[in-house]
Amino acid sequence: MLNPLRSEDEAFRFLLYAFVVIAVIVGLVLALRAIL
Amino acid sequence: MEAASIAHAATHGDHHGPPAANRSSRVEAQLLGMLLFIISEVMIFGAFFTAYFFIRIASGEPWPAPGTHLPEDVAGVNTAILMSSSFTLHWAQTSIKKGNRFGLKAGILTTFLLGCTFLFIQINEYANIGFAPQDHAQQTIFYSLTGLHGAHVFIGLVLLLIVTIRAFRGHYSPEEHRGVEIPGIYWHFVDIMWLVVYTTVYVL
Repeated sequence: MLNPLRSEDEAFRFLLYAFVVIAVIVGLVLALRAIL
Repeated sequence: MEAASIAHAATHGDHHGPPAANRSSRVEAQLLGMLLFIISEVMIFGAFFTAYFFIRIASGEPWPAPGTHLPEDVAGVNTAILMSSSFTLHWAQTSIKKGNRFGLKAGILTTFLLGCTFLFIQINEYANIGFAPQDHAQQTIFYSLTGLHGAHVFIGLVLLLIVTIRAFRGHYSPEEHRGVEIPGIYWHFVDIMWLVVYTTVYVL
């Protein structure tokens, strides 16, 4: 399991995952706002 | 690394009985310190985000308030700058793991400069944004949340400056680079927090 507080490498990978997840969520919200 | 090996020998080597004082945790002391610090800072950010969401949702007013404009584009560029600094920091870390001192020095210096650029742009935005913290609850929480993050960036820059100076003095090695790793964890935490701040305050 990824633990961002265990090493810099895991923290960096967590950052990348967080960026992707946040980008997807923001994209969905903005798309829904445009549609509705 | 020495501390970990000492703790390991004390618990699994030829020592029988309770572990030595201050060595009972399985986590290295320095890493544990940063871990607890980051957890506490996440709680602080949680409190500020709670205030932000309360002001934004409970008041029922549009965000941002009419007549105000949040510089999403500039903040977007700032986001790219901060994300880049995490890449350069990771480059520095992986470099010293392989014994590449040039990569460490170049990466950590670039990270520090990118962080300074981020903070400078943020301060410049404060000067030109067109509203003050006392104007409205929305403006208060905007300055509070971004200012809290800016304070964390400043702390990170102090750590990175120390790492940069030590890197140029040749203090780190593939065997001992904990001084790069632990501030690196903190810097990635600062970056992740900015992603959340940027998307909730500026974008959404």
